[in-house]
Amino acid sequence: MVDWPASTFNTVDHSMASLDLPPAIAALRADLEDLVTSIERKTPYAAVLLSARQGLQITINDREEQITEQAPTAGTVLTAFDGATLHEAAIGGFDGAAIRQRARELTGGLTVRQEHLIDPGPPRRGDFVTPMQVPPDLLSTQEKLDRCRELHRRARGRDQRIVNVRVSYGETGELAVFSNRQADLAQRVQRVRLMLTVAVAGQNGVQYDWLIKAHTGGWEMLDMSDEELQAVVDGAVALLEAERIEPGDYTIVTAPGVTGTICHESFGHGVETDMFLKQRARAAHYIGEIVGSPLVNIWDDPSVPGAVGTYFFDHEGMLSEPTRIVEDGVFRRGITDLYSATALGIPRSANGRRQDFSRKTYARMSNTFFGAGTMPVEEIFAQVEHGIYLMKWSSGMEDPQGWGIQVTCHYGREIRHGKLTGRIFSPIGVSGYVPEVLQSISAVGNDLELDGGGCGKGHKEFVLAASGGPHLLLRARLG
Amino acid sequence: MLDTIIQALRSRSDLHGWTVRHVATNGAQLYAVPGAVEASRNVQIEHFVVDLLRHTPGPQGAMSAGSGTITILPGDDVGPALDTAALMAGLVHNPPYSLPRPASMPDVPVADPLQQRDAEATLARLHERLRAAVAADDRVSLAAAEFFADERSTRLLNSIEVDASQVETTLYLELALIARAGEREAEAFGEVTRRRVDDLDIEEEVRRHAQFATDSLAAGGPTAYTGPVVLRGPLLATFLNGGTLHYLSSAAAKYAKLSEWEIGQPIFRSAVEGDPLTIFANRQLAYGTHADRFDDEGLPAQRVPLIRDNVLQTFIANQRYADYLRLPPTGDFGDIELPAGATPVAELLAEPYVEIAAFSWFHPDAVTGAFASEIRLGYLCEDGKRTPFKGGALVGNVLDALANVRWSRETAFYGDYLGPTTARFGQLTVSGTGVS
Repeated sequence: MVDWPASTFNTVDHSMASLDLPPAIAALRADLEDLVTSIERKTPYAAVLLSARQGLQITINDREEQITEQAPTAGTVLTAFDGATLHEAAIGGFDGAAIRQRARELTGGLTVRQEHLIDPGPPRRGDFVTPMQVPPDLLSTQEKLDRCRELHRRARGRDQRIVNVRVSYGETGELAVFSNRQADLAQRVQRVRLMLTVAVAGQNGVQYDWLIKAHTGGWEMLDMSDEELQAVVDGAVALLEAERIEPGDYTIVTAPGVTGTICHESFGHGVETDMFLKQRARAAHYIGEIVGSPLVNIWDDPSVPGAVGTYFFDHEGMLSEPTRIVEDGVFRRGITDLYSATALGIPRSANGRRQDFSRKTYARMSNTFFGAGTMPVEEIFAQVEHGIYLMKWSSGMEDPQGWGIQVTCHYGREIRHGKLTGRIFSPIGVSGYVPEVLQSISAVGNDLELDGGGCGKGHKEFVLAASGGPHLLLRARLG
Repeated sequence: MLDTIIQALRSRSDLHGWTVRHVATNGAQLYAVPGAVEASRNVQIEHFVVDLLRHTPGPQGAMSAGSGTITILPGDDVGPALDTAALMAGLVHNPPYSLPRPASMPDVPVADPLQQRDAEATLARLHERLRAAVAADDRVSLAAAEFFADERSTRLLNSIEVDASQVETTLYLELALIARAGEREAEAFGEVTRRRVDDLDIEEEVRRHAQFATDSLAAGGPTAYTGPVVLRGPLLATFLNGGTLHYLSSAAAKYAKLSEWEIGQPIFRSAVEGDPLTIFANRQLAYGTHADRFDDEGLPAQRVPLIRDNVLQTFIANQRYADYLRLPPTGDFGDIELPAGATPVAELLAEPYVEIAAFSWFHPDAVTGAFASEIRLGYLCEDGKRTPFKGGALVGNVLDALANVRWSRETAFYGDYLGPTTARFGQLTVSGTGVS
């Protein structure tokens, strides 16, 4: 069994670095220790989070160009824990006087109870910045626009059936400063995303395919080769002849993105421990139990270099480190936020994340993936007499309590005698009962890739997260 | 600060037009876990969103348009922010378009005075009602609940004298109920969004979800099925708001050549076997969750006849795409409205049929309409029995389904939908047990 190479763990640079904090945040940071102290005069635990996110979006298609900001968020979260309930004030901006006033109001009517005691963690200080070779700030907006235009030009002429090519570039800088009585942490996480969508038209209507690159880092993460561009065009054209699959149980091979989505929806969402506290996660009853084939190893790791879900500390001041969720088919532990870990009396992990300062923290995934195995991918295909290669996922939905699984794939291709036949099916819904799906895994590839995407809690609370893994061979119901 | 921004905009000579929105949001949030309130939050946000429109010579010398958007927070420097937006607007070259002109803004009721008086107290009362309703139902217990109450005030001005204001309120309830039988458990999860407390029937939500949870305990696996499928209540609204109708009727998709719909032509490729389809895109729906007086661009709310007897009447267009396609602008889509059908619900429930009560997530492909959505709970109704099942997927295509559907005479309002309570689709497929 080969998992995510251990040598890549903890390689995030935790050394002191220049953050270049905006003046308002820098000024406020100097007061946070006093602010925490003042709140803790009335309550047993306090914390402050300063959070700012802003970015740029460039979109080009055959008929239009657009440059706009990504809707920014900027504000302060004051947290006061009265022993049972987290009381929070979320205030737009970084006005010190207004924040101190809200701190006084927040603690004004609180009565301390003795139900839970929050551990503020060990002493920790540090400033962290995403390492980059080509930081977005190094390029002018005109240069970024020209790069997008060039990508559009490279894709546009590849097939006469193309009716539109869309290039979408986004960059997001996320600044966070966290303080409690033990922590003074600041980070600047830079994320970039490039998406190419090719739409084609035929007698049966319009079809499309896409390629997304989403990472922490700079422009060095966004190269798209001619082969990758052609694959997108070929995928879209092939979909013009797509069929609906005959519903039923199939042998399937999952590409890394589909593997990751299965992982994300099963033992990702299913082990967020706020759901344990709410009695909404069946996994809570299976700690230490077998939940899948011995080939199954699942991690969540916010310290994977370059992955889109990577950060240095979570929104509750926990420094990033990997969590081994499933080990050789046995469920070991979940991923936590502060409140559920405290209420359940379990160790914390660095998974307390907010959509933005206006929303509360939940236990959320970062980069969640199946560990790699040992089998070359071509040997996995060679084992398939008749099956489906699920190549591209488009969405998924969790069911932590029922352990149902829904993954929608944009398309899959038929395999016969270990070879792709040319038949393509779209869309394909994958459904099943999580333990049965995980138990059916009979081969794990020696490859490993992560896809970047968005992740909601139910239908809201969106954060960026990555998921992935190797190629898998398993059985599931398709429709 | 709004005056400062407007003065700065008026002093610039490089702009063809501008729009400013001053948005202030006050919100309260309450999060309940078994036996406790996990968190109580108060949120205050204020910002100014500025859209700039510039006309500059394009690469071939012809006049072109570009826009830039910037968000300014109280206390920010206005000048540099506007410079950034103007730079964005000057770099891109699109066909010129205009801004919305001054128009009468309808008085659409979208605010709840009760919630506006005291949001935190409103949430506390709703929480208490929820606890009482669950306590009165011995089939289930409350696993979790979230309550959000937001009040959003907007003032919008543009460079050609549009000046409008509105206040909206939104209530959101998320609940998870658990039913137990021995060591077996089943969950029912629900979300409800409304504009006002009076439209949030917590007791009915508890009753409905308690039934789902209880039936889920007894549910078996799905059997392969092709035939009539019934959707009712909020799930029917979810089906219609899934995105395909919104996308294919958008002028932006038409302009991008991703929608093949044509005004004056049927939206269906195949023959229509069921009731004719008529849809209104309604931003004037009283207390509709997507209703408003005006949208983010300043276009007044309309009730747009979108599809009449299967034929597309217009595209949903903001000012830009309305100009590009030479259509009247409609503004945002709003809520979806269908007229009453001709058939009583009782007739639509003629056996045999499958009823879907809950999906994991109904998420059709916006461009093609194809879907394969996992079934959280369904019922096979035949021979006088209503047998619950879960798992498998409902498989079909939104457009094909709407070409073969009958609508109920009875109607209801579900926040983002006003129309028949029940739809019977002639033929959809449930992926059930079977081996390929």
